[in-house]
Amino acid sequence: MNEKSMAEERQGLVSAGAALIWRRQGILWWVFAVNVVLAALGTMPAVHALKSALGNSLAGEQLVKGFDLGMFYELTRLPQVSLMRFTEPSYLFAGLFALFMLFVSGGILEVYRQDRRLNTGDFFAASGAFFWPFVRLMLFSLVPFVFLGNLYLAVGKLSDRVGDRFVADQEGFWVEAAGTIVVVLLVLFVRLWFDIAKVRAVAQNERRMWRNMWKALGITGRELWSLLWMYLRISLIAWITLLVGFLIWTKLPPTAIPATFLLLELVLLVQLAARLWQMASAMTWYKRHAEMVPADTVDYTTPHPLEIAEPEPQLPFYPETELPPADA
Amino acid sequence: MPVKLALLLLCVPVLAQSPFAPKVSGPLSQQVVAYQIEAKYDPAKHTVDATETLTYRNLTGQPLDRFPFHLYLNAFQPKSTWMHEAHRDGYFRTSDLNGWKDTDFGSDEVTSFEVVGMGDLTKSMKFISPDDGNPDDKTVFEVQLPHPIAPGQDVTFKIAFRCKFPEVVARTGYKRTFLLAGQWFPKVGVWWHGAWNCHQFHALTEFFADFGTYDVKVTLPKDYVIGATGVQTSDTGNGNGTKTVAFHAEDVHDFAWTADPNFKVLERQFDGSVGPVRIRLLTYDAHKSSWQRYLDVTRGSMQRFDEWYGPYPYAQLTVVDPPHGADEAGGMEYPTFITGGTSWPVWKGEYDEPEEVTEHEFGHQYWYGMVATNEFENAWLDEGINSYTQIKVMDSLFGPHTSNVNMFGVQEGDRASLRRSYLRRAETDSLSRTSYTDMSMNSYGGVTYGKTATMLITLESVVGEPTLRKALHTYFMRYRFTHPTQEDFLRTVNEIAGQDLKWYWDQAVYGTQVIDYEVLRADSTPTNWYEDGDGEKAGTTYETQVILHRKGDFIFPVEAEVKFDNGDSTRERWDGKDRWVRYVYRKKAQVTSVQIDPDYQVTMDRDYLNNSLIIADQHEATHKIAAYWLALTQFLAQVLSWLV
Repeated sequence: MNEKSMAEERQGLVSAGAALIWRRQGILWWVFAVNVVLAALGTMPAVHALKSALGNSLAGEQLVKGFDLGMFYELTRLPQVSLMRFTEPSYLFAGLFALFMLFVSGGILEVYRQDRRLNTGDFFAASGAFFWPFVRLMLFSLVPFVFLGNLYLAVGKLSDRVGDRFVADQEGFWVEAAGTIVVVLLVLFVRLWFDIAKVRAVAQNERRMWRNMWKALGITGRELWSLLWMYLRISLIAWITLLVGFLIWTKLPPTAIPATFLLLELVLLVQLAARLWQMASAMTWYKRHAEMVPADTVDYTTPHPLEIAEPEPQLPFYPETELPPADA
Repeated sequence: MPVKLALLLLCVPVLAQSPFAPKVSGPLSQQVVAYQIEAKYDPAKHTVDATETLTYRNLTGQPLDRFPFHLYLNAFQPKSTWMHEAHRDGYFRTSDLNGWKDTDFGSDEVTSFEVVGMGDLTKSMKFISPDDGNPDDKTVFEVQLPHPIAPGQDVTFKIAFRCKFPEVVARTGYKRTFLLAGQWFPKVGVWWHGAWNCHQFHALTEFFADFGTYDVKVTLPKDYVIGATGVQTSDTGNGNGTKTVAFHAEDVHDFAWTADPNFKVLERQFDGSVGPVRIRLLTYDAHKSSWQRYLDVTRGSMQRFDEWYGPYPYAQLTVVDPPHGADEAGGMEYPTFITGGTSWPVWKGEYDEPEEVTEHEFGHQYWYGMVATNEFENAWLDEGINSYTQIKVMDSLFGPHTSNVNMFGVQEGDRASLRRSYLRRAETDSLSRTSYTDMSMNSYGGVTYGKTATMLITLESVVGEPTLRKALHTYFMRYRFTHPTQEDFLRTVNEIAGQDLKWYWDQAVYGTQVIDYEVLRADSTPTNWYEDGDGEKAGTTYETQVILHRKGDFIFPVEAEVKFDNGDSTRERWDGKDRWVRYVYRKKAQVTSVQIDPDYQVTMDRDYLNNSLIIADQHEATHKIAAYWLALTQFLAQVLSWLV
């Protein structure tokens, strides 16, 4: 174990994850840039429509000096500005970003595993190698997420039913609040479970995702509370940042558009950083504790060789012919 | 608990005898009817068994031998006209009407009907459907008397009936231990303009009834707290776990009551121009955060109505805060009795509940309660005028641009909120159309509430706000307790404004025309354009062309403000009669902007965004919305990617 690793060993997982994110901050900035660019492409049709409606109208002042809900409504009901129509490009580019994240997850985890900068080829090789396995993993993850979605609907119905039996509004509210907290924790658990599966897949070069998923569930289950607490702490930081950002936003003057833009982007950057932080912490945990699960023990001191069989270039067969003279 | 709060919570049964404020002596109306009802409430079955003695005074000037009665609770049956209409639109207020449940059932059953001096006429009762001929609708019945009642004579009906309340819907019913008993007793129709006016219960519209006196005794479990129209005159224990509470009201046209053992009672006083009025708030512990807000807005509304439109002559106003889950009981008016609405948690800066709803329902005490127009046929005279006065009162209490919402940097005034409602259905139905035949629930709401309010705000730009206020004051004072028509209202405004506004009423009240003006062109070119260098030099004279265009079919005079880059500005007034108008200016300055209706007075203009044209591109609003849109798209993308 080298000196840096020993120092890290003494660090808590959350701070070790944060340190890893910081050392490999290029990943964060790159992902954030893609997030901004894709979202900007999704926003562009709306911006064009807004320009045509507001660019030469004094009515826009009511949206700048405050945010007049009535004027915003009037804006959205114009046929050429119907903002609801412009949600489609936003959904499209949001979906593209999700696909992008699915693609680069393997590369990002490889960077975190090796804790060094990979060259572009290695990064995308790792990304490509785990793309289809991660797609399968994502499809498997739909099962628990759909279950949790239904559970959340059931919580809503239960709170309605409980609330209906009591005079006080609070009874139903607290049932809903408690139920929501439980569902959020379960969502966090499922996210953790599938993150561990990804981490394990990269660490073990595991491609059999069905087996990998159950292995990951076993690992997560054995260390449930420490792992969940690790994820929860990072999520809490993200949520608190969101709340603080919201409070600052309420204090900003309505005309401070550049400041509002920067604040929103900062908050979103922190949300993204928190997500990568969780992945980095999971990888750090796995590296430290894999020996606890003998089947998963691997040597991390050397970079994990990527099993990417690059085919030899096949040159086309040309019959030996005499080339014509250049000036022919 | 602080002393102040302890006093606030103190429930003191004050047994007032007079239903009027001290400086008022009745009768204020013709008092056509006198109801005496003795009702016994069974909370377990949600039923009331009652006897009603109705004395009707024939002031019609002609003999009457046929009397129609409303039985509104029969509307809550699957084949009723009300249910058919509500189901047609897919919802009613807060009810989605998906599927039929036993608890949706309500009924009014007359078990005996006797006319004093003429005997038992129960068998001669028959249900009629004067509006749509629906044979399954049982919301109106009529009785043919053996011989007519002569003009000036009284006739007394003795009716025994049983009501079964539905789970709360359409301003009546129960929720757990709470009961709002509205439209619960057989109520005689109104002889109006030479005929009986007794419509079936419709989903869109509300009610119409004659003024009179009410003496109502309700027997219910002794732990129940009760509130009702009028004033409480006695509270007697019966020794069997029940009590009988008596109420008396005069010069009102309906009687509603509410009961719940969980009610918390708060009392305050409003000192009006005709003496003190008791405000009695029936609320719940769970809504403690709304108590003061209820009381403040009630007193604020009473003060402004008293000052602007006329006195509230009754001794008491009962304000009911429905419990959690009883939204359908909220936002309703009965004489001297209103229901508000709130929730928990309640947000500071969000004035929809309890403020706006309480103000709105109090306003009904004037337009519905005392002026008492026919809500079946001309709902705008009540709901619409009340929405206009709601804007005035709410703006006065909470600011013109913040009286609906003022939180987290988002603002909206009541005026904008009602304009929003109008824009949803700007041209479907005219105000003068028989209201219950409007196209849909949305159309009824948009036209009756939103269009009337925007129509009157727009009228302010023609006659001035003080004139319109004076007109409403005159209309109220002149027509209270008389059931005026829409023509009475329009005539009063004409009279006070000192001008014939027929051109306006024809379009805004009787028509469905829509106002829409736009600035079609605004530009400046040098007058010496033919010289070298395009003629643009210091001191150049420019010719500015401004074209205003009337896109809509509503002809309305408008103002337009033209601004120039040397700081000059000018206002033009265009009668709007032609389709367009051109204004030409020759100045040593170029036009910078043109704005139609710069004061945002013409709220009936359906598109504010085309009302102005500014020469230099403005990007701030676009950038602001784009920044939020971008952030939302990024956030959506992150959420999606977090799950994969």
